[in-house]
Amino acid sequence: MSNSRKRFASDCSDLCNSREQKRLHLIRSHPLGIKPWGNYYFDYTNSSNNNIKGDCRSPGLGKLAVLTDELLLEIFGLLSHRDLLNLQVTSRVLYCFAFFDDLWKTLVFERFKGNWQWRGNWRQTFLGKYYYHRDAYLSGINSVFSTISVVRLDNFYSDVLFQPFLCATTPMDEFIGKESIDRRANLSMDTFITEYAKPNKPVIITDVVTKWPAYKKWSMDYLVEKWGDVMFRAEAVDIKLREYARYAANNMDESPLYLFDKNFAKKCYGIENDYSVPEYFAEDFFKVLDENRPDYRWLIIGPSRAGSTFHKDPNLTSAWNAVITGSKKWIMYPPNILPPGVFTSDDEAEVTSPVSLMEWHLNFYKEAQKSQPRPLEGVCRSGEIIFVPNGWWHMVVNLEDSIAITQNFVGTHNLLNVLCFLRDKPDQISGVFWKK
Amino acid sequence: MATGSTSTNISELKKIKLTSSEGTEFVVDKDVGEKSILLKNMLEDVGENDMAIPLPNVTGPILTKVIEYCTHHRDDFFISQDDDNKKTSDDIDEWDSEFCKVDQGTLFELILAANYLDIKPLLDLTCKTVANMIKGKSPEEIRKTFNIANDFTPEEEIQVKRENEWCEER
Repeated sequence: MSNSRKRFASDCSDLCNSREQKRLHLIRSHPLGIKPWGNYYFDYTNSSNNNIKGDCRSPGLGKLAVLTDELLLEIFGLLSHRDLLNLQVTSRVLYCFAFFDDLWKTLVFERFKGNWQWRGNWRQTFLGKYYYHRDAYLSGINSVFSTISVVRLDNFYSDVLFQPFLCATTPMDEFIGKESIDRRANLSMDTFITEYAKPNKPVIITDVVTKWPAYKKWSMDYLVEKWGDVMFRAEAVDIKLREYARYAANNMDESPLYLFDKNFAKKCYGIENDYSVPEYFAEDFFKVLDENRPDYRWLIIGPSRAGSTFHKDPNLTSAWNAVITGSKKWIMYPPNILPPGVFTSDDEAEVTSPVSLMEWHLNFYKEAQKSQPRPLEGVCRSGEIIFVPNGWWHMVVNLEDSIAITQNFVGTHNLLNVLCFLRDKPDQISGVFWKK
Repeated sequence: MATGSTSTNISELKKIKLTSSEGTEFVVDKDVGEKSILLKNMLEDVGENDMAIPLPNVTGPILTKVIEYCTHHRDDFFISQDDDNKKTSDDIDEWDSEFCKVDQGTLFELILAANYLDIKPLLDLTCKTVANMIKGKSPEEIRKTFNIANDFTPEEEIQVKRENEWCEER
């Protein structure tokens, strides 16, 4: 993504015009030919279209056709890879269902955890790993399982099966509005305290990370060269950095697997010398807990579209997040404003954000732009660091493949909040050894 | 699903009224009705009320089955299935398995009703039952079971079969 992207509201009108034009030309076509339901109406009312054959869903599903696509996926999610391979030969519609990559993603994690080699999609990854012992493996697997589907439908409509494709191919630049998070350089400690720490307000600082050795040295290739065989945590699995890098470089997941590792400093000898905690965030009362402090720092690696849905940081701590390579888009709401599309229990112990990051953008972004109060938005680019004040709701999404470091802390202006939280909500304390 | 203990305190003996799609009224114990999260939330929202709750998506015979299920499991403490656990479909107990011995049409309607009424254990049970009707079957057997048309072109069929045959256990 280029840095020359237009960033400010004043540019908005010509930005919109060029976007409209781009959209007209951008006809995204699903590799299996699956179309969203809206196209059904269009195809059937378009009189110039004489080739219309009728929807193939009913004949292709038989009696199963009364069930919704969501429910069918629920059922097919209970099947083994053998059953999915049989389904795929049963009818053209079932072929589409059996190709749905999320089903294979689940199978990969169930059977192989993080021990696999990426082959362009989850289905190929599963089959490649499962049949690895076959003699005919090398000549077989690559020719038998081409990534290009042998079947292409022109009369199957499904929002559910289309959705991940839509999310993975929608460019994020449609969702970059006015940047409203302050961006500062040459910020004195006093100014930081009076303008940001005390009022508990986010800010992006642009001239700190650029001085870190990490900023000059780190890239995915560099990290893989140094620590490629080290296992890192990516969501529910542990995976070698080398294999994760292959996955991250080439996937079409709606919500890509996100590497989020809290033990990186122990695993990667010398990595701590590549960065230092900026003075703005140096005061940290959780240091007194020493080894017993809650989890507090993470190495974050992920491709574009990876990120975190709306949440507040644990234990009411504040945080900083430094982007070494790539860029991250932040959307933030103050503590007392519940973001659209998010639901919590009364005490906020449970947070539900039912939709993926891209789905949220497709469904709620425009609404969030119009409603009051508007969220704060900002892009934290390579070499920049963002201050995330305690209690703020935030969602973060990678605009490009990114490497970042984040750390949670408790400063003077946050100490009382945290102490009250620890006293009043002991059941919500997280990241501590006695709860693991 | 674990079995809990208490069922008889006063509030649970209250009755609620439901109306099926044909307009037939059903009276059920409140604790039975509240196995449906949809009804539970509705009752919380409207409070004490003698009005029948209309269920235009559920026919009388299906509602009867749903009530039978919820009554049998009224004392169960439903635990939502942990996402970390591997989902299996071979852990169905005897009563549940008997309960699902119905024609396909009824089974699918039960799935739709369980989904609409938000009764997770019934939804899981009925989905597992359908999954078991697919498991281990050949494509031709699957087609027969659900009356599915083979709509591949001959060229497509050769191609898709190639993948499938390559994966046959040898």
